[in-house]
Amino acid sequence: MQVYEVFRREREGGPMQHAGNLLAPDPELAAHYAREFYGRRQESVRLWIVPRAAIRDLADPDLLQPPFDRSFKKPAGYSTEIKRKLAEARARAGGGGGEAADAEDEDPVVAAGRKGVEQP
Amino acid sequence: MTTQAAEQLDRRARDALAELLLAMADDEFVLGFWDSEWTGIAPVLEEDVAFASLAQDEIGHAQALYRLLTELQGGDPDQVAFGRRPEEYRHARLLDHPRTDWAFSVARRFLYDTADAARLDALVASAFWPLAEVVAKMRREETYHLLHMHAWVERLAGGGEEPRSRLEAALERLWPDARCVLGGIDDAPLVAAGVLAEPLAAVEQRWLGGLAPVLEPLALPFPFRRAGDRWEPTTAPPGAGCRGPQRSDDFRWLWGEFTMVHRSDPEATW
Repeated sequence: MQVYEVFRREREGGPMQHAGNLLAPDPELAAHYAREFYGRRQESVRLWIVPRAAIRDLADPDLLQPPFDRSFKKPAGYSTEIKRKLAEARARAGGGGGEAADAEDEDPVVAAGRKGVEQP
Repeated sequence: MTTQAAEQLDRRARDALAELLLAMADDEFVLGFWDSEWTGIAPVLEEDVAFASLAQDEIGHAQALYRLLTELQGGDPDQVAFGRRPEEYRHARLLDHPRTDWAFSVARRFLYDTADAARLDALVASAFWPLAEVVAKMRREETYHLLHMHAWVERLAGGGEEPRSRLEAALERLWPDARCVLGGIDDAPLVAAGVLAEPLAAVEQRWLGGLAPVLEPLALPFPFRRAGDRWEPTTAPPGAGCRGPQRSDDFRWLWGEFTMVHRSDPEATW
């Protein structure tokens, strides 16, 4: 008997998501059981049935959770830069610097868009 | 709509149709109950779920067929399903056997599902179109049943000495009664009226033609030999009483189980 991990797609265009696992003696019966466990109530349009042995497991904290500050690698780093550039642009255009300060916690693109609406 | 479709049939065809619907419904119903006996004790948890699900499917097919029958001739589907005496049931004698061991239940379901598939093929273009509609849905579910039972027969046949000998013994024991699934029905008026595409004898030939290439390579019991373009049985025919009224003690026990709640209060609703 072998463990198989099952992934299912709930509707066309949706992602394949992990559903659970089961025990089966071979891939054919694994497919039958996957159908019973994750498809018999018409809750799936597609299943992937993968032997657990085929999965490369990676959970090493040295690789996944490095100890130094790596916040500059996060997408938020770009977000801050955009915010700064937008504030500069607003200042150059003579818009209210105060409003930019109020909107500091908001997404700068959204805030800029709203500003355009408020000041036609 | 069932009434409209039935109006096109003469009296004899209508009676034969009622007989066919009751026989098919009882086949599915009784098999469903026998196989549900494996719930909790199947070989592995996964198979427990799968086999119970197959059994549930059969009860669902029986429900659809009992409903058609009562639309045709009046009455209440629940009353037909649960309100008869054991000798009034019309299922094939194949379904008089108890659950027995796992190989036996697999062999019985394999023989039944393959025979039933051949029968459904002859009904999918039925002139009695309400049945054709139900059959089209049943066939889609039976696709999986057939896949699953073929998988099990192959595994037991090649799974070592004990599984193989148990499967062989079960097939030997069941073959004569398996032929009852395609027997015990007055099929001539059904063929004449276009309800059934071909006589049941022809359906049986198609069934055997499909089984030979599966069972012969596995060297499993298949008590027929080729004679020209036909398969001829090498054993005695199943004989009279293919669909009752004589019933085994095992079936009487099962009947006691599945009618227990109904008999305790026939008027109950829920």
